[in-house]
Amino acid sequence: MRTVVICHLYPELLNLYGDSGNILCLRRRLSWRHIGCEVVEVHTQDRASFADADLVFIGGGSDREQRIVCEFLLSEKEELKAYVEDGGVLAAVCGGYQLLGESYLMGDERVEGLGLIDFYTDRGDPRIIGNIVVQSSVADTPIVGYENHGGRTHLGSGVKSLGKVLYGGGNDGQSGEEGCLYKNVLATYVHGPLLPKNPQVADWLLSRALEHRYGDGELEPLDDTAELDANRVMYERLMRE
Amino acid sequence: MLLQRPLAVGLGRLTSWGLRTVVRRPASQLPGRVALTVDENVISELANKLSCGAIVVCGTNGKTTTTNIVAAAAESCGAKVLCNHEGANMAAGVATALLPGSSADWAVLEADELSCRQVLPALRPRYLVLLNLFRDQLDRSGEIDHVQETIAEALKSSDDTTLVVCADDPLSWGVARRSGRDKDLAHLITFGIAEDLCLAPDRVSEARFCQDCGAELSYDYRAYAQLGAFRCPACDFKRPSLDYAATNVVVTDTGVAFDVTGKALAGPAHVESGFGGVYMVYNLLAAFVASTLAGATTRAFQRTLDTYQPANGRLQHFTIGGREVVLNLAKNPVGMNQNISMLLHDERKKHVLFIINDAPNDGRDISWIWDVDFERLAKEAQGDNLDVATSGTRANDVQVRLKYAGVAPFAPIVADVDEALERLGEAADDLPLYVLCNYSALRPAKDALAKLEEGGR
Repeated sequence: MRTVVICHLYPELLNLYGDSGNILCLRRRLSWRHIGCEVVEVHTQDRASFADADLVFIGGGSDREQRIVCEFLLSEKEELKAYVEDGGVLAAVCGGYQLLGESYLMGDERVEGLGLIDFYTDRGDPRIIGNIVVQSSVADTPIVGYENHGGRTHLGSGVKSLGKVLYGGGNDGQSGEEGCLYKNVLATYVHGPLLPKNPQVADWLLSRALEHRYGDGELEPLDDTAELDANRVMYERLMRE
Repeated sequence: MLLQRPLAVGLGRLTSWGLRTVVRRPASQLPGRVALTVDENVISELANKLSCGAIVVCGTNGKTTTTNIVAAAAESCGAKVLCNHEGANMAAGVATALLPGSSADWAVLEADELSCRQVLPALRPRYLVLLNLFRDQLDRSGEIDHVQETIAEALKSSDDTTLVVCADDPLSWGVARRSGRDKDLAHLITFGIAEDLCLAPDRVSEARFCQDCGAELSYDYRAYAQLGAFRCPACDFKRPSLDYAATNVVVTDTGVAFDVTGKALAGPAHVESGFGGVYMVYNLLAAFVASTLAGATTRAFQRTLDTYQPANGRLQHFTIGGREVVLNLAKNPVGMNQNISMLLHDERKKHVLFIINDAPNDGRDISWIWDVDFERLAKEAQGDNLDVATSGTRANDVQVRLKYAGVAPFAPIVADVDEALERLGEAADDLPLYVLCNYSALRPAKDALAKLEEGGR
């Protein structure tokens, strides 16, 4: 039986926007397909082992917690970089997204990021808060969720975004781009949480993880009526506004 | 200026009269807003007519119930009390509540956490009761840290105000420390539960870490969420000693009972009520302390509880076509988790309707429903002991949540409580229906249920 090992980084610190729902979603979608799933929670006192992971997840936290996490992760930067460069799957939301870049701002202080992808985050006023819709290549249906960030993320010239903003702010509120896609890394400001209402994004991650581990990323289709209804109701409501 | 204040008060009252008498609308906000527009200092002006002072109740969950009980207990001892009964808890609601009459003994007012910034320096209350702080409406309130800072700053701007704080909550106690009240014992009163209730643990998503040094807190015992006898293993941050302590606590599905001991009391006071849930122990304990400070006797307090009928949708009971309907507010993860505990406590088979909206005063961000332990209902639902339906502007999100929780693969979505009851009418059973709503959904549900109950008589 195929099994996906999910490595959930610092769930006790990065859990601001219902991120446990993302893990639950991945877990359920695997079990409905009779694919094994093991979730390894990495806590601050642990050392993460990325070699065994098929899918790494980093959520969002408050400034204070994000900073603590970044300090821990910086000491494992090389390992995480090797994981990503080797095609390891990584999903990052909100604060977790910002950590992956070259730097971000904490108050007025510039904090060194993990430097896995060529982007940086500074800050703008006001915070970008509200519903968001993104058209992305990873899903046929638009990605629907919520964003709440003071940071403005600027992608390097060769870096691909996750998709185009149809409603809301996105990376910097101006470029019309949201999130980033790099190898098998999917990073975004979209929470709400991200995966349950965007099942194709969940399956994109799972398929990549299985492909990477087993060379076979095929997934049986599921009945996603409830998920896609929830997605469509919000999409239609927001597009009418 | 001299003319402005009477004008502000006069116009506010006129608005109030107009709303109630001419257009027959509730007047819980607009009169105060009018008065504040004419004179931004109207709250401090109105506070002068209070012979004893003001008690402000603040905290994420339980404000309205606690406020109403304190006001009723003080009134039962003959005091003239002004109160924002309906829960209009921004500055405008507070100003509205203060408008009537030329004098009063006490004002007992609930205040929204962020409104404390305006309300406290203007009102300079005798007491601020801080019940608890939970994650709530991140899009509006921001992170909890910001809420704590706001209340602490408000306290600093009103240095005669005594903080009456739930000492079991690390976040509320954090406010005591930030405002310096932890060292100003003349202006600090603590309350909490002084024993292990041995309840099934729920999820702690908040405040798992020391407010001072960031180490993970440990607990001698925990009541619910992050409330309990906490201490930091690495520094001196810990639950302070309790000025008022609840012991012999009994929590059943039909109510709660406990004893209160405290240096300021002649002897232990027994409190009991028909409202269930461990959170209710904290609300009633806080209400008891505040009522005592307002001069109410233990007997008067208990009498108040005996006759207290919530009419504001907080655990309000209705009988519709022979069916018991229980309405309650559930507007954040901790509140919803407490409601789930209540559902599990009631061993009867039951129907549950979740009504979740995303209006601005609910918080537009719905992600909090994923922090609720709906999974705890899965066993009941699979055992056919409980069925669910959803409603509200975010009915679909709740439907997805319940699917992933293993509660219902495709919970039916209904337009409102009327439709939910119609559906149950077809099933022709007499099982109870619980209606759990967030903020903006509560009032319409309450009105609809009251109408149905009235119509059935």
